[in-house]
Amino acid sequence: MNERLHQIHELALEELSKVSSMEELQNIRNTYLSKKSELMQSMSKMKDLQGEERAKFGQLINSIKMDITQKVEETRLSLEEKKLQEKLAKEVVDFTLPSSDYTKGSKHPFNLIVDEVSRIFIGMGYDIVEGPEVELDHFNFELLNVPKGHPARDMQDSFYIDETHLMRSQTSPVQAHVMLSKNGVGPIKIISPGKVYRRDDDATHSHQFGQIEGLVIDSNVNMGNLLSTLELFARSMFGEKRQVRMRSSYFPFTEPSVEADISCFECGGKGCKLCKGTGWIEVLGAGMVHPNVLEMCGFDTKVYQGFAFGIGIERVAMLKYGIDDIRKFYQNDKRFLSQFTKE
Amino acid sequence: MLASYKLLKQFVNLDGISPSEIANKLTFAGLEVEEVSSLAQATNLVIGQIVEVVDHPDSDHLHVLKVNLGEKYGVEQIVCGAPNVRVGLKVIVARPGAVLGKDCFTISKSLKRGVESNGMCCALNELGVDKLYLRDEQINGIEELPEDAIVGNEEVLEYLGLDDVVFDINVLANRSDCLAIYSIAKELGALFDREVNIPTPIKYDEIDSNITCGSSTSDCPQFSIKVVKDVVTKESPLWMQRFLMAEGVRSINNIVDIGNYVMLLTGQPLHMYDLDKLQGNNFVVKNDYEGPVVALDEKEYQVEKGDLVVTNNDIPVCLAGTMGLLNVAVDDKTVNIAIEAANFKGSTVRQTGNRLGLSSESSARFAKGINPYQDEFVLDLACQLLVELADAKVVSKNVRYSTLKGNETQIECSVSYINKRLGTSFTREEIVNVLTKLMIKVIDVDGDNFVALPPDHRIDLKVNADLSEEIIRYIGFGAIKSQLPLMPTTTGGYTPSQQKRLKIRESLIAHGLNEVLTYALVSPKMSEEFILLNKDESYVIMNPMTVEHSIVRRGLVSSVLDIVKYNLDHQQKDLALFEVASIDTKSQHYEELVVALNGSKSLRGSLEKRPYDFYDIHGILESILTILGIDKNRYKEERLTDSKYYHPGRSTKIMLGKDIVGVCGQVHPSVSKDFKETYILNLNLTKLLELRTSQVKMSQISKYPSVTRDIALVVKENVFAGDIIRTIKKFGKSLVKDVQIFDVYQGEFLEEGTKSIAISIVYQDDTKTLVDSVISETERNILDALFKEYKAELRK
Repeated sequence: MNERLHQIHELALEELSKVSSMEELQNIRNTYLSKKSELMQSMSKMKDLQGEERAKFGQLINSIKMDITQKVEETRLSLEEKKLQEKLAKEVVDFTLPSSDYTKGSKHPFNLIVDEVSRIFIGMGYDIVEGPEVELDHFNFELLNVPKGHPARDMQDSFYIDETHLMRSQTSPVQAHVMLSKNGVGPIKIISPGKVYRRDDDATHSHQFGQIEGLVIDSNVNMGNLLSTLELFARSMFGEKRQVRMRSSYFPFTEPSVEADISCFECGGKGCKLCKGTGWIEVLGAGMVHPNVLEMCGFDTKVYQGFAFGIGIERVAMLKYGIDDIRKFYQNDKRFLSQFTKE
Repeated sequence: MLASYKLLKQFVNLDGISPSEIANKLTFAGLEVEEVSSLAQATNLVIGQIVEVVDHPDSDHLHVLKVNLGEKYGVEQIVCGAPNVRVGLKVIVARPGAVLGKDCFTISKSLKRGVESNGMCCALNELGVDKLYLRDEQINGIEELPEDAIVGNEEVLEYLGLDDVVFDINVLANRSDCLAIYSIAKELGALFDREVNIPTPIKYDEIDSNITCGSSTSDCPQFSIKVVKDVVTKESPLWMQRFLMAEGVRSINNIVDIGNYVMLLTGQPLHMYDLDKLQGNNFVVKNDYEGPVVALDEKEYQVEKGDLVVTNNDIPVCLAGTMGLLNVAVDDKTVNIAIEAANFKGSTVRQTGNRLGLSSESSARFAKGINPYQDEFVLDLACQLLVELADAKVVSKNVRYSTLKGNETQIECSVSYINKRLGTSFTREEIVNVLTKLMIKVIDVDGDNFVALPPDHRIDLKVNADLSEEIIRYIGFGAIKSQLPLMPTTTGGYTPSQQKRLKIRESLIAHGLNEVLTYALVSPKMSEEFILLNKDESYVIMNPMTVEHSIVRRGLVSSVLDIVKYNLDHQQKDLALFEVASIDTKSQHYEELVVALNGSKSLRGSLEKRPYDFYDIHGILESILTILGIDKNRYKEERLTDSKYYHPGRSTKIMLGKDIVGVCGQVHPSVSKDFKETYILNLNLTKLLELRTSQVKMSQISKYPSVTRDIALVVKENVFAGDIIRTIKKFGKSLVKDVQIFDVYQGEFLEEGTKSIAISIVYQDDTKTLVDSVISETERNILDALFKEYKAELRK
């Protein structure tokens, strides 16, 4: 009797070792573990036995049942694992195929500079003020100390609409608007980004281009403050190590007037192609606000002084991004625009 | 302005100061030196004399020369192709190792068609001299040196007067006085603290003049004439030719050259009349002459009222400051000359020149403003040179008309003012020292205050701020210490509108759109198209550069469409572009936003794409309105059916009251043949930004479960889904929390002209769990309303 049970046990284990599918496993389970199976049926033979023998027989059946049950479970798990592995082996992606489109678009490089400069000056407590692009001669010139007959007003330079209106040739008229709106009371701390228009067209000049004008007015604003402001700007925009130097220049609405150069960010000042070997790059014009401008705009020059500066937007973008032709800003070729996706 | 180093050295002591030091100093003091160049570039030169000329055995134009180079180098054989070689001719020889010209051409020993050549005989252009200054025979052959040239002399450039350095100075508008060598010499004297020596012209015996002169207009406040007789026209001496070359002026003859030379030295343009061609003795400058005149260039010009004209006995003789007239022009036969030194108003000269298309060195100087107080000095200098270089015999006294009194500017200033402005702490001595060096006279008032009197030539100095610039450009900007402004703290920042605009732009970029930048000046055609938001009149440019950019645009759509077209023309497909730009018309200044979609929206590169459609552009509209915080009840959206620029079935307009503030839809197929289906969103951003919006206030999320029920309706195809949703919400009252359309069908299983809409409605009570009967009752009310309002039926 016991021998038969051991035989069944061996048979079951042998069959289990050959199982390759869940169906086969189920069949084995039915064959060896169901109520109708020989093993289970042999339980009925227990009633013919007595005492210790009976107990032993019962234990044997139980241990064989448990072992087969455990082996069936193990086989099931390994079959499932095998099935999973087979499934996973088929589920390999080509991660180099195009992904779903979550790519961002691009800010125009002109506005990259405007937004970045605005961010820098907002950090210093400046307001952003904008103005109309069609201006009165009075604001574009007269209030900025460019009287009638001044060469800068030449018809060759500005786009006129009539005797009194023109496309603003600089963002400086916003200065005048802001000053007049303050009724002679400071302080003023603004920058004014925007488009301006001049009769000019070549690789470095466009009839439309951008400027950012800055204006600070208070009772104690001097040339040293201008220098430190320009240094802060240069370092935020072009890197921590930038130096600023000033050269004498001329603008009708500032006195003294300067051109401000920054030390070359490409070579650090040693001299390279970008800075034409000088170590310095001309980036902006600036100066102390001319007393005539302050007075025409309602500020008492015995109390107030101020500085102003002007930055060429395309010029900064061309330097920063290595753009060689200003016309590329206005062509808007997708291949050009898309390059600024990561900015 | 070109300035010769050698010429400057005649008037200011520059010993030991190199050209690069000069360039640097001038640049930082406001006279930017853009280029420093040599008049000629050549090494290893020697003067030689040709002693033998033999035809090259293997060439029809080359000669084999024997050239005596003096004791040091002896006689060398040189092969030369110049036609003017001859025995006895003294020539410039570049020996092997010589480097010539701007391109650094190197001379070496070589074989020329088998014959040894040990150097080159040179023409001046081969030494770097611009051909502009040379005669044809000087360019076609080698330079012929005078007989007294010393053979063996190695300082050839010095001998030729070509050992000069030229500064190209960018003279800014306020320092027009520096368009004169004398003024630059004065600047250098001050900047380097060196002695300046500008000689007073020598006056030869002068006779009285019978000339009279005057002006009938304030545009000519000063006019002076001097007469010179018996001049002989000939070539200018070499030194004069060389200086003119350095100054970028071509030598013509001694008379013309003297005029140019004096102008370059002093900045005062001169004009010369042939005295014998003048009708009379009375010069008057007028600005009311009208009629045709023939100028020196033999062309006829129409003089109008306002133009300045010099007349002689009422006959026009000169377009003042611009160009002389042919009838009185100085020529080779001229012997008696009247020289004019006048002051004409810059803006008038410029206007006349612009109108007539005439400009000259003289007119440019008048336009920028000249020193009006030196006419007598200038005339004396010109006459001295005419006597010395043109053999003039008789010189008249100056005849002068002037309403000017000399530079009377007085500037009140103080030491404390200058330091406050510059942020410096200069002493009174330092300040006075600088001003004195710059020839500005200082009169003390007290310890702090003083009065400054600028010299005649500094017409740019007018107010105390000007003096602060003089001080700092002289001492150097390095003296300014960087110091942050001590000011009240300000928060700064964008205005709410600027902030929202930035958010919209950044959101569009995050959604994959490319921002563009277009021109505000457009063609007349573009200014008429796609203008739905602005009925205002356009500004028109009086003086456009091209008709393509002649109108100030009154709408942004055609500009952005132009970019769509540009990209399609350049093989760029699948475009999603936008721009925000300001629009200026006669009564409005506002900002527009335009989005343009063309081609396909990429879902996975080119692997999965679908064409853009109306719902893409409309989705962008809704996203922007969300950012703006504008709820649907704040505006009305209506179909746009009557525009020739937009598809009548696929376009809408956004209305705020009676104002149209936006257009959204497809470009009309008949106007978009070039670029197929394009979708446009055009918003008046300013109007939308001006709408007051409310702050977000959180609402509680219901604790009770919600129930979702779907209905499918069949309605006429022209019924808007949005209207159905509005009705459902209205009749579902507070129980309806959300309504979603999840299917729209139109086709073979439905009656023509109808569509089915499947709608999912979410019911929820904020205060208790909903029971079925309440939902059913609410649904009944909703359906009754839909049946009634839209003749809707439940889909079977």
